[in-house]
Amino acid sequence: MSTLHSRASSGRLTGKDLINTGIYSAIYFVMIMALAMTGYIPVMMPLLCVIGPLVGGIPFMLFLTKVKKFGMILIMSAIMGIMMALTGMGFYALPVALVSGLIAELLWKRANYSRARSSVLVCGFFHIWLWGNFIPLFMNPEGYFATRAEFGADYEAALTALLPPVMNPVLLVCCFVFGVLGGLLGRAMLKKHFIKAGIA
Amino acid sequence: MGKGILQTSRQRRGLILDPRTKLLMLITVSAFVLGGLGGDRLPFLVPVLCLAVLALFLTAGKYRAAAIYLSVYAAANLAAVLLLPRLSGFFYFLLLGSVGIFSRVMPGVALGAYVVSTTTVSEFTAAMQRMHVSEKITIPMSVMFRFFPTVGEEFSAINAAMRMRGISFGGGSPGKMLEYRLVPLLTCSAKIGEELSAAALTRGLGGETRRTNICRIGFGMQDIAVIALCGGCFAAVGLSYLGVI
Amino acid sequence: MIELKNVGFQYENADSGSLCGVNLRIGRGECVLLCGRSGCGKTTLTRLMNGLIPHFYEGTLSGSVRIGNLDVAESELYDTARLVGSVFQNPRSQFFCVDTTGELAFGCENLGLPPEEIERRTARSALEMGAEDLLGRSIFQLSGGEKQKIACASVSAMGPEVFVLDEPTSNLDMRAIGDLKNTLRLWKAQGKTIVIAEHRLHWLTDLCDRAVYLRDGQVEYDLPMAEFCRFSPEKLQSLGLRALSLADIRNERTRPCPEETFLLKNFLHCYRGREPLALDIAETELPKGGVIAVVGGNGAGKSTLSQCLCGLKRGFGGVCVCGGKTYSRRQMLKKSYLVMQDVNHQLFCESVEEELRLGMSGTDETGLWKIMDALALTALWERHPMSLSGGQKQRVAIASALLAGKEFLVFDEPTSGLDFYHMEKTAALLRALGGKTTVLIVTHDPELIVRCCDYVLRLERGRAVEQYALDEAGQQKLRRYFDREERMEILHG
Repeated sequence: MSTLHSRASSGRLTGKDLINTGIYSAIYFVMIMALAMTGYIPVMMPLLCVIGPLVGGIPFMLFLTKVKKFGMILIMSAIMGIMMALTGMGFYALPVALVSGLIAELLWKRANYSRARSSVLVCGFFHIWLWGNFIPLFMNPEGYFATRAEFGADYEAALTALLPPVMNPVLLVCCFVFGVLGGLLGRAMLKKHFIKAGIA
Repeated sequence: MGKGILQTSRQRRGLILDPRTKLLMLITVSAFVLGGLGGDRLPFLVPVLCLAVLALFLTAGKYRAAAIYLSVYAAANLAAVLLLPRLSGFFYFLLLGSVGIFSRVMPGVALGAYVVSTTTVSEFTAAMQRMHVSEKITIPMSVMFRFFPTVGEEFSAINAAMRMRGISFGGGSPGKMLEYRLVPLLTCSAKIGEELSAAALTRGLGGETRRTNICRIGFGMQDIAVIALCGGCFAAVGLSYLGVI
Repeated sequence: MIELKNVGFQYENADSGSLCGVNLRIGRGECVLLCGRSGCGKTTLTRLMNGLIPHFYEGTLSGSVRIGNLDVAESELYDTARLVGSVFQNPRSQFFCVDTTGELAFGCENLGLPPEEIERRTARSALEMGAEDLLGRSIFQLSGGEKQKIACASVSAMGPEVFVLDEPTSNLDMRAIGDLKNTLRLWKAQGKTIVIAEHRLHWLTDLCDRAVYLRDGQVEYDLPMAEFCRFSPEKLQSLGLRALSLADIRNERTRPCPEETFLLKNFLHCYRGREPLALDIAETELPKGGVIAVVGGNGAGKSTLSQCLCGLKRGFGGVCVCGGKTYSRRQMLKKSYLVMQDVNHQLFCESVEEELRLGMSGTDETGLWKIMDALALTALWERHPMSLSGGQKQRVAIASALLAGKEFLVFDEPTSGLDFYHMEKTAALLRALGGKTTVLIVTHDPELIVRCCDYVLRLERGRAVEQYALDEAGQQKLRRYFDREERMEILHG
């Protein structure tokens, strides 16, 4: 009689891993989009860097419990970037997402895909992709109103008032910090609900 | 939200573009309108591209969407022209800044809406395969598109349950409002996901052979026109930097 | 074709469903029924055959499972997939694509077949299953029965030698079951080997060649179907099995229907952009405090009725007149509660106690514990609701509705996928709820209806076509209705 324990991780991503990545990407993306709808008032937009990571941390932390191999976080990041491009938010999020996803991925690998404290940091790095959506707003600010001389100078002033260049790094830090906080929130939810419910 | 992001079946469509053409158009609009490429040297490119987005809506037979797009676009510009001179101080800056950001982001988002409402999931997957995107991306993305409507269904069932319990507003606490929705949503989704994986794997997903695809996509005259427009925009920028224009 | 030698399996994080020392040989072209109580291991057995064990569900496996020349445990899942096709319980969760054509092709695409070959195969399998009119549609617009048909056609297009079905009718109505029966006949005629794990037995008596009864993970009976069919209804019940024939289903008790009535007025609803009314009941009188079965085929308006009754349809203008009071939609939202088919949608808190206190009307401590006692939840009060079994979750949802002072309870398919034992328990519970509250049960399960209902309301195309008390004559009527439904699709096919 041969006893065989199911082979767990061989390192290569299996169909199950890819499907899991897709499912959590869907849940995560729907939540971010639902929040983004409220952010359609331009003044609210920067707030997305606060609320997005905070709320997104919950499904992401649940997702992390399924990540036991290299690549899943990176794929999810890439998908977020592609989805942003597809919905017309620009192509700037994609490269940012790839870099932040890679950092998150490497960190999670170093944590042996299990250490709780690192998972919160991973969540923080992952969420930096959101910042990528704001890059074009800080680039070439005179682009649009350049044709209207009468507003040109004022527009630049207005934009600097609304989105001062210093906001750029601030948003980046925001994404990370609130990503970490979202990770903590997600961990609390894991303990409170999902582990008991048997899905984590 | 019940309908998901990309389309689930081919119904009532006008002129069809290849998904790859749509992608090129997205890149172009993103670079010029959102990213401000072309700047003050080629100021006419932005309105041309904005109009092209309008034309796409019309060719797809989406007249309502076209009307909304046109009126929102016009309203933003009118607000700038009519309202701005009458305002001053804080509100002047607020409106000016908002209009500026809005008119840069909006055409891209409208084009995005066009792309997701005219592309079926199978077309998109086929296009990604043609562009030699790895299956490690295409499989999760197909699952994701498949899952969007499910998330919507689950969400509305949970909402109904909350209304019957009288806890739609979580007793006034936003945290509870979120928690009451997320706990059943994530639990149900995880279970559906498990069953979905099992069903897909027993039908051979994840094998070593490269997947084939029965969805037919290809370029037509309309694609060539759009590609020419996009190519023209980039060529103009190139020429202007060389000092030809 | 299939050979299990001394197979044992224990799930990593669950006790139920484990197997121990199972030996089974199934010849080519045989059609075998696997039956037994919930948790007896029949689903586990199907998972061993299609390779989900040990490649998807983790645990300890011993012994060997061979399909033809293939050792399932040693082969990759996608190799087993060429040989074994699987159909599952829940039509909602087993499709991968969003459109029917893509779904039919999905399995073949995974095999890497050339597109022309795939088109040939999918066209043929759609033709054989009578699914041609479903092609090119969005899967999200199909009914459960249609989804199951697509699932079968998709598997069939891959051309496997063995079909494994795991409780495929749990979410289907009688007509869809008739359809599925035709599909199985076809596979049988093609000489395929079929293994089917199922609770509902009545539709399989003339289809299967052999019945395997499992108890606690071991094979207790392995009989030719003809012999199995000679088991008396009492014996089947003692084995925890459902009736073999709808004719065997009879009511042991007849309770007079409550005299008092309530009135549904102006129950009309139309979905946007779709012409005929989904629900078209101008006025109807139903027994107050009764346990009412709502029956009818797909698209009859059963779920629209339950949503309207619970006040969930915005802009709905109908009212409910009960005890001299008229309840508008908003008041119905407060007075009624829908226990959904997937109860997971309506559990929100981290403990049973907290769940019950949430939305409780008033702070009646003794009432809380009384209801928890009555529904056997007292021992579970600290548990997380999501960690409970299906039946326990259902009871938590019922308790929360009772504590919120609901007068109308609507159940959507409360017994789908339940074995005889659990079905009877649910029936007893629903029967006990009658009297004080009015209970409406949307169901396809005749065995449940005769066990707990006093009254039947039959819908067809949104209209209430028939309503009768479930006395002796009513039972006859009900039996005739289900008989006709079951035969309907067979004639059609």
